[in-house]
Amino acid sequence: MKGKNRKKLDPQATWPRLIPEEEREEILRYLENRFGIPPEIFNSYEFLATAKNYWLFVRTPHLRALEKLRIQTAGLLFLRKVSGYLKPTTAALQRFGVYARRGILDLDRYTLDRLRLEKKIPFTCSLEPGYVILRCEGKIWGCGLYLPEKLISYLP
Amino acid sequence: MAETPETADQYFERYREIIPDYPAFLEALSQPLPLYFRLNTLKVRDPSPVMEGLSRQGFRVEPVPQVPWFFRVEPREFSLGNTEEYYLGLIYPMTLSSSLPVYALEPRPGELILDLCAAPGSKTTQIAQHTEDQAVIVANDRRLDRITALVANLRRLGIACVVTTVYRGEQYPLEVSFDKVLVDAPCSGEGRYRRGYEGELLFQKEGRTNLSGIQKGLIVRAYDLLKPGGILVYSTCTINPEENEAVVDYLLRKRQAELLDWEAPLPSHPGLTEWAGRPFHPHLVKAKRFYAHEIEAVGFFVAKLRRVA
Repeated sequence: MKGKNRKKLDPQATWPRLIPEEEREEILRYLENRFGIPPEIFNSYEFLATAKNYWLFVRTPHLRALEKLRIQTAGLLFLRKVSGYLKPTTAALQRFGVYARRGILDLDRYTLDRLRLEKKIPFTCSLEPGYVILRCEGKIWGCGLYLPEKLISYLP
Repeated sequence: MAETPETADQYFERYREIIPDYPAFLEALSQPLPLYFRLNTLKVRDPSPVMEGLSRQGFRVEPVPQVPWFFRVEPREFSLGNTEEYYLGLIYPMTLSSSLPVYALEPRPGELILDLCAAPGSKTTQIAQHTEDQAVIVANDRRLDRITALVANLRRLGIACVVTTVYRGEQYPLEVSFDKVLVDAPCSGEGRYRRGYEGELLFQKEGRTNLSGIQKGLIVRAYDLLKPGGILVYSTCTINPEENEAVVDYLLRKRQAELLDWEAPLPSHPGLTEWAGRPFHPHLVKAKRFYAHEIEAVGFFVAKLRRVA
């Protein structure tokens, strides 16, 4: 890619902030309550925050030194704040959803394909409304939103 | 009168003396490159569901015994990029020999590691996998569009230990010192060449660029970014000694670096100590050359060095 087609650097790109312990506990509590993911899974990770997103980043004593670099991204985009609720990203669920014990929706292949195609389908299940882990044939596909009588896909 | 373009056979003739079993090398150039993938063990430990899934889609999948978590796939003309396993981040398609620089690097959890020319991320993601996502990897590339591809791969594989930066490698800021630096340098790609397939003209197209000059700038900056005692791995996918031994030799003359031996999982040949009448540092025998026809993958050069002072 040459000349004007080339992407420009984002001069505003800055390090996300390391969140305080209270905020971290809120995130871990949400993951445990909604999905049954044990908090200790994240013992070796920090959560970093930008305006509307939380990023998962390996816990390291080098963090202060790394802040001298002009970065593009740090870690894995993990959660988004959507209308006051926390929404896990598909990337986060594909990696850590294996530790979940609830909030999992097992779909057959036909329903998954239809959901991916139509993005929103009529659906009823026994789960509490909210964000769910979409699983099919034992593989975790990512994040969906279950609302009474409908299922919304957040798969990319 | 226009010059007749040089054929591959004519081009590689210059390496006849250094390539072992040269007729077999020429023969291999007529075959498309074998197709491999790495299993992403951060998401899946048991390869069976992945192998079964790919089999259902018409692939034949065999593990590579010498290189853990690598699998060879046929038919090699098919793309793995359209498969469900790719989409879910269970696999990372990459040539087998591309794993070699990471073997030389021996990354460990907790280390601060710089991948200076990282995009699209095959080695960055392999380092993350080797360290169970517990090293701190700074993945750099001078082009933002290539970093975008790298970030997409990090997301797809679910990796959380990587910071991405966009700097010119030769001018990477010296504020941070690293335990290890990997320079998988831009190169003429001769090791990737196959007649009539991808990469056919790469070595001719890049011929006008001063690759050797760029590589020398990168390797010196990489050394300067190391902590004392830190490890530098320099690699290319080319046969050309001007881009390999000559670059490492340049560093040895400019800085106090020590070449180290390392254990490779694939058959290799020692680095050259002389080329075109020009002697190189005798320790360059510790560098390793991997030839495409012997390893059934892209040809590679890998040198491992330690910063002495």
